[in-house]
Amino acid sequence: MVLLDYLQSRGLRANTGMCTLGDGQAWEVVINPTKVERTLRSSLSLLVVHTTTEAAKMHFDICQGASLNMVELFTADCPSECHIRQQADSECRVVSVSVAGSKADYVVDLDGSNASNRVRSVYIAGGEEHTKIALRVNHNVSDCQSDSLVKGVAGGKSVGEFYGLVYVAEDAQRTDARQTNRNIEIGSESKIITKPQLEIYADDVKCSHGATVGQLDGDAVLYMRQRGLSEEQARRLQIEGFVNDIVLSAGELGQMLGEELTAKLERL
Amino acid sequence: MAGKDKEIFDNIDGEYKYGFTTDIETETIARGLNEDVIRLISAKKEEPEWMLERRLKAFRHWQTMKLPTWAHLDIPEIDFQDIIYYAAPKQRKEGTMDDIDPELKRTFDKLGIPLEEQLSLAGFAVDAVMDSVSVKTTFRETLAEKGIIFCSISEAVREYPDLVKKYLGSVVPHTDNFYAALNAAVFSDGSFCYIPKGVRCPMELSTYFRINAEGTGQFERTLLVADEGAYVSYLEGCTAPRRDENQLHAAVVEIVVEKDAEVKYSTVQNWYPGDKDGKGGIYNFVTKRGLCREGGHLSWTQVETGSAITWKYPSCVLLGDNSVGEFYSVAMTNNYQQADTGTKMIHIGRNTRSRIVSKGISAGKSQNAYRGLVRVAKGADNARNYSQCDSLLIGDKCGAHTFPEIDSHNPTAVLEHEATTSKISEEQLFYCNQRGLSTEDAVGLIVNGYAREVIAKLPMEFAVEAQKLLAVSLEGSVG
Amino acid sequence: MLSVKNLHAKVGDKEILRGINLEVRPGEVHAIMGPNGSGKSTFASVLAGNEKFTVTEGEVEFMGQNLLELSIEDRARMGMFLGFQYPVEIPGVTMANFMKMAVNEQRKFRGEEPLTAGEFLRMMREKSAVVELDSKLTSRAVNEGFSGGEKKKNEIFQMAMLDPKLAVLDETDSGLDIDALRIVATGVTKLHTSENATIVITHYQRLLDYIVPDYVHVLYKGQIIYSGDKSLALKLEKEGYDWLINQQEE
Repeated sequence: MVLLDYLQSRGLRANTGMCTLGDGQAWEVVINPTKVERTLRSSLSLLVVHTTTEAAKMHFDICQGASLNMVELFTADCPSECHIRQQADSECRVVSVSVAGSKADYVVDLDGSNASNRVRSVYIAGGEEHTKIALRVNHNVSDCQSDSLVKGVAGGKSVGEFYGLVYVAEDAQRTDARQTNRNIEIGSESKIITKPQLEIYADDVKCSHGATVGQLDGDAVLYMRQRGLSEEQARRLQIEGFVNDIVLSAGELGQMLGEELTAKLERL
Repeated sequence: MAGKDKEIFDNIDGEYKYGFTTDIETETIARGLNEDVIRLISAKKEEPEWMLERRLKAFRHWQTMKLPTWAHLDIPEIDFQDIIYYAAPKQRKEGTMDDIDPELKRTFDKLGIPLEEQLSLAGFAVDAVMDSVSVKTTFRETLAEKGIIFCSISEAVREYPDLVKKYLGSVVPHTDNFYAALNAAVFSDGSFCYIPKGVRCPMELSTYFRINAEGTGQFERTLLVADEGAYVSYLEGCTAPRRDENQLHAAVVEIVVEKDAEVKYSTVQNWYPGDKDGKGGIYNFVTKRGLCREGGHLSWTQVETGSAITWKYPSCVLLGDNSVGEFYSVAMTNNYQQADTGTKMIHIGRNTRSRIVSKGISAGKSQNAYRGLVRVAKGADNARNYSQCDSLLIGDKCGAHTFPEIDSHNPTAVLEHEATTSKISEEQLFYCNQRGLSTEDAVGLIVNGYAREVIAKLPMEFAVEAQKLLAVSLEGSVG
Repeated sequence: MLSVKNLHAKVGDKEILRGINLEVRPGEVHAIMGPNGSGKSTFASVLAGNEKFTVTEGEVEFMGQNLLELSIEDRARMGMFLGFQYPVEIPGVTMANFMKMAVNEQRKFRGEEPLTAGEFLRMMREKSAVVELDSKLTSRAVNEGFSGGEKKKNEIFQMAMLDPKLAVLDETDSGLDIDALRIVATGVTKLHTSENATIVITHYQRLLDYIVPDYVHVLYKGQIIYSGDKSLALKLEKEGYDWLINQQEE
């Protein structure tokens, strides 16, 4: 796998350990975790890779002013639960990429004011895979921000499922929450199911969600073919364009994640 | 609560002006539900045997069913044996005006629904239903000239058995859900309407439902059939007296839109919502669904301001190719009201299109949820849906929720859902105040502006009513 | 008409107005200038009654009444008009509907009969000509999707409709190109009579080329530190505020 090869080239020898990437940033790497429990008091960059079907359970307590920057890659059909609890002024950024019918379940609790959370997630499902992403963001106190964007591509006979919920508790005033789910359905027998939900008990809030299901832009494919690309290439280019912004948000690791996605596209 | 919020809040105590009771002798049957009660209802309606059989079948099925609990509603336990399933104002005879009890006539006058044709709103034909019976259907002769049948469902069962047999239960079968099964067993009255092939109904048809008797439930059944190429615009209104008890209203509306036909179905729902402490009010559990054949077009518009609890999802089954479904809704809740309402758009035919615009307004301590499903079946090539669901919160003790689901089984579907939540901004209020509007007027104006896209879909006369209703529900003064 | 004495106001714990004194008589035009953050917009908001600000001290008399005791809408109905720096969008509410309510509320306040639909439409047509407002805008929702210039023209159109005794125009010139500025300013001038008065709050002298003020006041740190005639505006344009501020701080 491209990513693991890269990590080895940067000196990673075991399933867990520190690794300094090309841009000089130090990442803690965990491969195939079954259980992770961490209390963060400063900032942490964490890369989690799931390559087996073993279930993973993760829990993060992000203390006041601390931050978590997590990149998660699923290359196996693995069930994972991730609970993130954030105190005041904390920050959490998650980029999650799945290419293998995984079931990821994220619960975010914003427990201190001015906590901010951002999730960027993308999956590509093919064959008979069933990829599921659940994301529940609880705004339990006032003045927090959350922003989630989940993108899905379903090909073959696969099923892509998104279950999202933004919960705003009573008195969680001045909440700013956004949740978006965009999907491209390309398999003649694929299915997309999406349930983005809002449950709001406070009035001074800015909350929105959106969901779309669509296909590749036929005109664009035609245009690219006219310029000499094969239909395959044109379709792939478009899907790459569709997922690109999420991949880019992973910084240095983005390129590797992009290659994983491209490889998956070729297998579709 | 900030000063301005408090002021908005205080202004919201609406007066329900349809809360009066008509003092009229009413024939009721004993409380409770069993096969004998169903036989009794059927006998009172002088129904043929096949109808009774259908009712009993539904009842037996209902007994095997459980109450649905998935909605975002807190529903107190309902004792289905403590409800009166049939109540009829006495001395009723269909026919000339002279046969109608003057007290009944006065009641409908007071509700703004004159039963004399010469006094009625131009272009409207009305079926007036009180408790379990239809009191009067106006303009029947005028409509009959075009071959249009517009009468009470009880009468249709007797007079047009072939049509009723063919269509009743064809869109909402008795097995559909708990309340639909109950309704199929005990339904009392409602309207039947048939527009023949190629006929454009020259009048707006409407049914006005009134609950009057105490301790009763109302189980209306409406069946609307627009045959090939026909067009009809249909309106439904409802009110009930102010009472401390909760009354059950479990209706079923079925619409059949044949090839290239078009039906517009509008509802202004203003059942008694309960008092400001949440005491009393109607439980409104309604199943409404339409089936569109090829090229058919069904448009639901609803303005929901009443009822203590609303559970209602007017839906479209887009069976035929190129059929179109629309749902426009304003749901306003105040005090302790709860609403869980929305729609289902089931795309089965090819090139089917649907559009959903939902505007929720929550005030007081109310809970208001949009629940929707857009499903694209495997063969529904090129299905299109656009959904826009907005929520407006007034006050910090209410809740606004959005529960959409998109379920796509076809890779050519293009589906979009958007939702936002907002409140009336201090800036908007200040701006209106600065131009001389009171806060009460400003809130009414802003809420009506927010709901405008939906209200504009109603026929003119109803649109004006709906605007007033929203303002009254908000303001506490007469609209 | 308007008499402001030792007016203090704060937002939260922050004192913004720190003793303003101002007398405005019928027929006068006053310009209030001053650097950013000096309290110009706050002064306008406090006159209109914006509840974001708390008046802590001082008196304001308007048309012989204690202004500070009146609600926002009663101030408006008495003839106080605030031209907003950032006019507010009200989705779905048409301009025509909005103005009809506003005009008739004012008439009700004065004990006059409401205008008929015909009278009102005629009035809309006449007044929209004052600011060359595209009559199509009046059928659109209040300020929704209006350009910056349209929003400002719309403010002056509403001023024409409501015919105020005192108009307080808060940075009405900001964000306008030269043509829009001319139209807006000419509109204001047309509406000016010996019976009413205008307070123009502005950053720039260029507006005062069209709306000629009788008095120019400089607001700094919540107080009027200097007043003069229209030549003061020209001097400020050339030399800035430093000379005044230095003088003040010495």
